[in-house]
Amino acid sequence: MAEREIVAGAIGQWRQAARTRAGTPRGGAGGRARLRLGVGAGLLGVLVLAAIVVPWLWPASEQLFDYTQVRLPPSGEHVFGTDQAGRDLFVRTLAGLRVSLLVAAICAVGAITLGTAVGAVAGFLGGWPDRVLMRLLDTVNAVPHLLLGIVIVALYRGSLTAVIVSIVVTHWTTVARIVRAEVLSLRRRPFVDAAISGGATRGHILRRHILPAVAGQAALSAVLVLPHAVWHETALSFLGLGLPPHLASIGNILSDARSELLLGGWWNVAFPSVLLVLTTLATAGIAATLRDRLVPRRRSELAL
Amino acid sequence: MLSATDLVVGYRRGRPVLDGVDIELHPGATVGLAGPSGCGKSTLAAVLALLLEPWSGSVTLDGRPVRRFRHRVSAAERTSIGVVFQQPRLAVDPRWTLDAVVRAPLVASKRRDDGIVAELTEAVGLTRELLGRRPHEVSDGQLQRACLARALVLRPRYLICDEMTSMVDASTTALLVHLVRSVAAAGTGVLAVSHDDALLDAWADDVVRWR
Amino acid sequence: MTDTRVTTTSAEDAATSAGTRQPASALTVDRLSVRFLLGRKGKAGVVHAATDVSLRLRRGRVLALVGESGCGKSVLTSALLGLLPANAQTRGRALLHGPGDDLDLCTAPERSMSRQVRGRRIGLVPQSAASHLTPVRTARAQLAETVRQLRGTTLRGTTLRGAASRGDVDGLAERAGLSPAALDAYPHELSGGMAQRVGFALALAGEPDVLLADEPTTGLDRVLVDHVTDGLAAAAAEGTAVLLITHDLAAARRVADDAAVMYAGRIVEAGPAGEVFADPWHPYTRGLLGALPDGGFEPIPGHPPELTDVPGGCAFCARVPDPPGPPCNGDPEPVAVGGRLIAGHVPC
Ligand SMILES: [Zn+2]
Repeated sequence: MAEREIVAGAIGQWRQAARTRAGTPRGGAGGRARLRLGVGAGLLGVLVLAAIVVPWLWPASEQLFDYTQVRLPPSGEHVFGTDQAGRDLFVRTLAGLRVSLLVAAICAVGAITLGTAVGAVAGFLGGWPDRVLMRLLDTVNAVPHLLLGIVIVALYRGSLTAVIVSIVVTHWTTVARIVRAEVLSLRRRPFVDAAISGGATRGHILRRHILPAVAGQAALSAVLVLPHAVWHETALSFLGLGLPPHLASIGNILSDARSELLLGGWWNVAFPSVLLVLTTLATAGIAATLRDRLVPRRRSELAL
Repeated sequence: MLSATDLVVGYRRGRPVLDGVDIELHPGATVGLAGPSGCGKSTLAAVLALLLEPWSGSVTLDGRPVRRFRHRVSAAERTSIGVVFQQPRLAVDPRWTLDAVVRAPLVASKRRDDGIVAELTEAVGLTRELLGRRPHEVSDGQLQRACLARALVLRPRYLICDEMTSMVDASTTALLVHLVRSVAAAGTGVLAVSHDDALLDAWADDVVRWR
Repeated sequence: MTDTRVTTTSAEDAATSAGTRQPASALTVDRLSVRFLLGRKGKAGVVHAATDVSLRLRRGRVLALVGESGCGKSVLTSALLGLLPANAQTRGRALLHGPGDDLDLCTAPERSMSRQVRGRRIGLVPQSAASHLTPVRTARAQLAETVRQLRGTTLRGTTLRGAASRGDVDGLAERAGLSPAALDAYPHELSGGMAQRVGFALALAGEPDVLLADEPTTGLDRVLVDHVTDGLAAAAAEGTAVLLITHDLAAARRVADDAAVMYAGRIVEAGPAGEVFADPWHPYTRGLLGALPDGGFEPIPGHPPELTDVPGGCAFCARVPDPPGPPCNGDPEPVAVGGRLIAGHVPC
């Protein structure tokens, strides 16, 4: 009897309805995603800020040859140590990071623009333009990316433009594929039929309906391309095919550091590598969170 | 007059959905088209809305034969036919507010709003507050009201209602059908596609029943 | 565990064990309210999806819950199956009567919901069943798997899967009005009506005491609607308690034994279906019937209120002031009058 009264009393109180079910993301998962986004964005922010501010504060030291300070291990004065020419590695690495990030950002924007344009046109027009563009895409994909990059860079040796072009040319294809698939699925939706019937031209539909719908996916691809482009640039520079040697990029620094490693100069390799890995992880964290948000999943819609 | 003669239409080669169909829509008259799902009613509606190219047969709009479909038909011709689709949720861009949805045909054809938007939104019972919302914030019935307003905003000479009421409740159905009947009375030719015989009997001037 | 169950009175116990033929309650919803908190802790608003809803589902009877879309009726299925999202809160009880003891569906732990209730004691016939089927497997494979899962016995926490013979699966399909041959099709090869029947067969697979049908007829043509409602009536004839949630009054009129009309999250009128539909007391019920093509075809003016902002008192009179009929006393709480429930508009 007492039990019954307790339950009857409970009618007057609101209580949480949800139960923990397998496979449903709850507050904890959302919290983790927010943490991952926060850490990623914070880390990337600090790295970008350092890459801008540090070389700007000590503009000379990046290229300053000081033969009295050659091959010094990390110390209070040179936190990352110095290289075989006596250049401060802290300033030089951050300057290198700035160049690498800048190149990567330009490449990401270039690859996204090209990829979105090709994907949207192919998917929306269909027919022969689609077939031609997709064969072109297959051709680019058939060649290993680094090899294609090396060929382009070798033809225009040691120029910044050549590096950027080589990365853009090899990285637009993924974006184009994603955007084309998205556009193909959008193209036959009734809302496109409604727009046609309302007198909209194809350009109008592309601008007003299709491109805004794929913008999220394209932004995600841009973030995903960014670390890839950093590594690509580093690899080209490391092989001596990338940026001109006077531009301190992460790849150039690592390339120089190879011989130093044999002389025991571990700091020449360690700090630039750690910065490279941190940059990659930070971007990957942001990309993963963005992807989770874009993937259509059952939001707590009110089933009314 | 909007008419189709001897239509053969399908989606897969060798399997026509419609084979030798004729239909005529006259200004001011409402033709009901009834039949079970899967019998090709919606396919015929899509052809008459100039959104689907038939394999053979002819479509004539006000005495002039229509030879091209979808984007390839002139904007003037396709905007003279309004369409309301079965599922309002799929028929609107989920990013747009209802107001943008209703105005879209005016924007696309670069015409000015001469008060028609206010007139139509009032007739379908959409308040200013509802017009400011996005599709996921309104019910199917409220969304279909916006879709009907959109279909009428360019004052089409013909209106194709493809299962317009199958997702909405009885009260909204009555409201939408009353509005369509009033535009029909003002001279618009209407094709009312539905599987609900009782509804078509109350709505259309003639009802064509398909097996 | 103990606080989620309510001991039944000994009289009810005796009635169940004796297997009396009078229609016994299978599910009692007792002043159930569901609300959703929007934003962080409800700062962006509170959706009052259902308020003080009381319903009684009896074995062998179909209860139709009708109302316009957006009136909160569909939230009941989620609440009864324990599938409300994280921002939902409930109040009141929903007692699933079983042999021996009752289970409060609002507070039962997830473990009992998933192992004893969903599919086994409460079956769900969903809206647009096609989207509930896995596209890469045949209907037969999915039905057979469901049968194996649901008819297996639970022994010390591990489920021993039962066998699903071809005959079992074919029998289920036939009960749902589907020819066994159609089961070998993939979901995309099924028409909307056939997919709906597969959904119905899936709901019957666990031989539930209670069937919840949530807008099972939306988008189907009249012949298929009749098939679906006949299927529900047949299930009720076998002793299942059926809750048909629908905005299709024609379907509700065809099959319901009892009817409840919901407006703005509250039950405004309830009673035996014949009486409610033939002689509606509430102006909202009259409005719904009057909107049917054969009932006058007149729309109800205005819109149902937003569930974030439900007017106090009689919500319908806030939409249509002074409707014809007996005057409104403004009380949103339904009262019993002559075997029926009516809110506000009590007949003289
Ligand atoms: Zn009232």
